[in-house]
Amino acid sequence: MWSRLVAFFDVKEPATPLALVRIIAGLASFLTLQTVWRHDLIRLIWTSADNGGYRPIKGDWFVQLLGGPTETVMTGVVIAGMLSSLLLMVGLGGRLTALVTLQLILSTTDANGHTGGSYDEVLSNVLWLVLLAPSTRTLSLDCRLRTGAWQDETPVAGWVRFLLLWQLILMYWTTGLQKVSAHWVPGGGFSALYYILQQPTWQRWDHGWTAYVYPLTQLGTATSWFWEVSAPLWLLSWWYARTAERPGRLRHWFNRLHVREIYLVLGLIFHFWLTLLMDVGPFAICSLAMYPALYSHSEWVRAGRWIGTKLPCRATPTVGDISGV
Amino acid sequence: MRRVSGFPVCVSNVGISVTVVKRVWPHLRAVLILVHLFAISVLAMPAPGSGLNRSAWSDPTVTAEFDAWRERLSGWGVEYTAEEFEEQLWTVAKTYQDGVNVVVKPFRPYYRYCGTQQSWRMFVAPHRNPAILHFEIQENGEWRPLYVEGSSEFTWKGNLLDHDRTRSGMFRYAWSSYRRDWRRFSSWFAQEAATEFPEATHLRAYYWKYRTLSPEDTRAGVALQGRQQGRRVIELDDLRHKDEP
Repeated sequence: MWSRLVAFFDVKEPATPLALVRIIAGLASFLTLQTVWRHDLIRLIWTSADNGGYRPIKGDWFVQLLGGPTETVMTGVVIAGMLSSLLLMVGLGGRLTALVTLQLILSTTDANGHTGGSYDEVLSNVLWLVLLAPSTRTLSLDCRLRTGAWQDETPVAGWVRFLLLWQLILMYWTTGLQKVSAHWVPGGGFSALYYILQQPTWQRWDHGWTAYVYPLTQLGTATSWFWEVSAPLWLLSWWYARTAERPGRLRHWFNRLHVREIYLVLGLIFHFWLTLLMDVGPFAICSLAMYPALYSHSEWVRAGRWIGTKLPCRATPTVGDISGV
Repeated sequence: MRRVSGFPVCVSNVGISVTVVKRVWPHLRAVLILVHLFAISVLAMPAPGSGLNRSAWSDPTVTAEFDAWRERLSGWGVEYTAEEFEEQLWTVAKTYQDGVNVVVKPFRPYYRYCGTQQSWRMFVAPHRNPAILHFEIQENGEWRPLYVEGSSEFTWKGNLLDHDRTRSGMFRYAWSSYRRDWRRFSSWFAQEAATEFPEATHLRAYYWKYRTLSPEDTRAGVALQGRQQGRRVIELDDLRHKDEP
């Protein structure tokens, strides 16, 4: 058992999924900081009361090192964070960039525990795993500078991809388990989503109209609750897809019914509606940053080729195409 | 310096053979990965966390949830009075949370410094009694609204107040357990108003707390009913002169 586990964590694979996670995580980090900068919020929420903020803030060890949470320090941290996020997106600086971005995100989003949300934790979770992975091995400026090409299929440690999946599933599953309100669970009328949409804090606009499509909100409640509490099946479906050559009736049916894809599509629908109807900050992009880990390098390559065939402008015909060879 | 499976080894200095490192590292890595998985999983598991707050339990949304569960338990033959139910729940939740705290304590630095904190208490229950923030100022003896949460008409400091991060704070400050932070928050905006509106004498800040309508009531055109909460009237002259000797 132990040796199988050790062997599982020793598997190597091309870094394409990790690079995609890195790119989206960089974008999410940039947006997280940029929106605070753009709304001129730094003084209000991330500086201490004696420096222009509204409540006492100590700042973490890094902010303390810089002189404490003054407006100048925190603005500098935000600007540095935006720059490092951009470097992370383009993949310059290897793991050091991920480390710097993670630290700057922690120094800002943890500064005031009252003005954040779970999206901050999703983001720092992803950045920590990006830091552990050689994610600039491919699809990065580092790769371009090192090899002269944008892509490098040299295998790297595959266990980080598994940790990303575990994190994704853990997040959805445990948030589902904590939805203990009578409005969420079966037998309670599935009215949670309707009433959540009426909360002024998160709604993008007045959602009184949902009273006229109430059964749809009930369907949404039941679907999202079931999708979350059954999320471990998503992890199982990933495992079954990875080991498709092995025997087993359950494995066969999971792969035949494309359970992994069903959960993926439900996830995309969930985030689409959540983002459209409610303003919950960068939660969608922070969560979606982990989705590329669901698929291996070869699956991403196949998906890329499939998309290529669907594009209106086709590639220049090869000699084989012309000669019919 | 040689590099084996990403693990740097000074063969000559440390005296560890490459073969030993090659053999040990995969096992050590597996242990570290399992420790990570355990640390994050145990922290992510459902726990009351900040919900373990007696004053928050008196909020109508929470008491309504308790009543709904008592009713359900009653249907299964388990009877509790409201007090018994709350006391029992408090005991169980407190014991459980204490246990969780003991288990996760060694990992606290890992959560804090590596960004592996887990907190997925997202929309655990709809807040049936939400609150809308209001700021008003008094000029020439007349009150006028400056900001009303969700309004497209009264949008003073909307670039700050309408951001999701600020709203996260505003959501908290409507709960009585955050009274001190509500005072700080409203005072900060009073200071801003004192500078921006030199003729204004007072800023009035309050939440309008109401019960959200059921779908049936909304369709029937029932009006929202609410009351002011956390009302503060702040003298702006005091703020204008506070730095004067």
